[in-house]
Amino acid sequence: MTKSSRRLLGLLIFGALAGAWVWAASALWRTSVPGNLKLPHVDMSTLVTASELHRAEHFSFVLDLFGVAGLLLPLVVLALYAKWGHRFMKESAAGPIGTGMLLAMLGIAILWMAMLPSNLGQLWWLRRYGIVKYGYADMIIGTWSALGAEFLGICLTILIVMGFARLLGDHWWLAGAPVFVGIALLVTFVAPYLSSLQPLNDHPALVQAEHRLAEKEGVKAVPLKVENVGGLTTAPNAEAMGLGPSRRIGLWSTILDGRFSEPQLEVVVAHELAHHKHNDLWKMIGWYALFVFPIAYVIARVTRRRGGMAVPLAVPLFLFAWVALSTVTLPIDNAFSRRLEAEADWTALQATNDPQAAKALFVSFVRTTDEDPSPPFWDPILFGSHPTEAQRIGMVEAWQARSGG
Amino acid sequence: MNEHPVTLHVKDDLRRSRLTVFFRFLLCFPHFIWLYLWGAVVEIVFILNWLVALIIGRPAKPFQRFTAAFLRYATTVGAYLLLVANPFPGFTGERGRYPVELEVPTTPEKQNRLKTFFRIILVYPAVIVAYLTMFVVFLVYPLIGFAWWASMIKGRMPRGFRDLGANVLRYFGQIYAYLFLVTGTYPCSSPYVGISFEEPVVANVPVTAEAPAAIEAPVAVDEPPAVEAPPAAEEPAAPEAPEAPPET
Repeated sequence: MTKSSRRLLGLLIFGALAGAWVWAASALWRTSVPGNLKLPHVDMSTLVTASELHRAEHFSFVLDLFGVAGLLLPLVVLALYAKWGHRFMKESAAGPIGTGMLLAMLGIAILWMAMLPSNLGQLWWLRRYGIVKYGYADMIIGTWSALGAEFLGICLTILIVMGFARLLGDHWWLAGAPVFVGIALLVTFVAPYLSSLQPLNDHPALVQAEHRLAEKEGVKAVPLKVENVGGLTTAPNAEAMGLGPSRRIGLWSTILDGRFSEPQLEVVVAHELAHHKHNDLWKMIGWYALFVFPIAYVIARVTRRRGGMAVPLAVPLFLFAWVALSTVTLPIDNAFSRRLEAEADWTALQATNDPQAAKALFVSFVRTTDEDPSPPFWDPILFGSHPTEAQRIGMVEAWQARSGG
Repeated sequence: MNEHPVTLHVKDDLRRSRLTVFFRFLLCFPHFIWLYLWGAVVEIVFILNWLVALIIGRPAKPFQRFTAAFLRYATTVGAYLLLVANPFPGFTGERGRYPVELEVPTTPEKQNRLKTFFRIILVYPAVIVAYLTMFVVFLVYPLIGFAWWASMIKGRMPRGFRDLGANVLRYFGQIYAYLFLVTGTYPCSSPYVGISFEEPVVANVPVTAEAPAAIEAPVAVDEPPAVEAPPAAEEPAAPEAPEAPPET
């Protein structure tokens, strides 16, 4: 085979892969929300008081500053670590993979120390607004303990990456990326079993409503569970969890503490059921799979300048490249998440047929979370996994207009 | 009188990295997992080895090597955890890789069948002494705490604390070697038997964050090798192969 024909073949394969990638991405991107749906402008000052609005704007602005620090600081710290982290190799008597693990753990540990002031500041701010209940010592000890789990996670990652790199050289990403997708699947599947979920005994009406809503949405009812977070936060939340037989809906105890009416809770349950109906957790894993291959490939290319992932010398650069690429893809990940959430809202509206309850719920979210309902444009790009409350209320109004309600 | 088939050799230079001392317990987490998994296999191997030793009068050679590697590995993890040594240990229990090493016989010796049969009962007195030692360790735990602080402040482990930790490791090594049939010699509770403190590889190291370690990891340079990776000094995360060369 001549050089030009090899090049042509390579281009064809790349073109086919790129085409498949675009097709898969567009398939995941599609939702059942009407494409021509125009969200009306919502004047939040007619729904919440001026002082509530001001409080939410002020709270969110400072929280965003901490959020930006939380994005930039790891990049700076890991960039420095990528340059000088290899010096810690002398602290290891292990082989290449063991030394790689040590370098990765130390990178995470240094990042933890560097982030501590920012995290403490963020906690101070959340405590000031009564969103979080735990103290500074609890936070330090809690995140310290969580480091242990992070260390295990990063060691497993290094074991996979360096293990394959020692077998396959720079092509490790071809084998490593599917393993990471498999781990994501496993984690999503077992997450409900690892969470401290309790049966929902105190709300039989809500359980009945869930069965009714599930029938309307055309999805099998899943167990409703409660996660007791009352000692940690006042923020309300709920989440769809699990895959197949492990599917659950986890309601935070804070959403059941009497601040939300029964119809509002039904909207919440309908929303989470919609995630299961649309297989959103599968879609999120699919989305992750779409990105993990190119990210792993780019990391493999970048780390070649340090001898490739078979040697521990490349591990600090690996950490930096990984975090940098995750930060770069964050806006598109958030946009994808917002689409799934918007679709779940739309499905919940159709199932509950109760726009007033939905509207009241989203207004209550502004009051109970102090989140800015109409943040600056860059806020959702960087941090918005859900549509803003103004957009959600706008969707309710658009749905009403379509339904003639 | 100073000899025991299971001997701990300490070649540590007392230098400590503040960063790894600060996170020492958490850094051991991957080792805890590996220790647990390998230990579970060692327990199965022990049962098989016990049957073999009862039948042929000595342990099986592959089992002996496998268990010896585990004991060496467990000792390095203990040394790292208790600040008895500075470098992050490997996962294979390979000989000659760590400044604190448990010398364990890898060639099986003939053992009395009756003592083998009652091994689990016979080891109890030593276990009780070990627990007392542990009790002492717990009593001196504040001292271990002081040692942690001393290492953090000075970048150096106080010799007395290092030696105390080394002796605990030595005694536990002897107990497990006896229990797992690696040796028929009973553990010796004397702190002078079965331990050797040798001159550190790097003596009188200036205490700085950049001081060279006793055992250097492969290649640490800004410019990486263009093509060839540094040679693998150990196989990743796998127990020692049964056919390793005999111990000298």
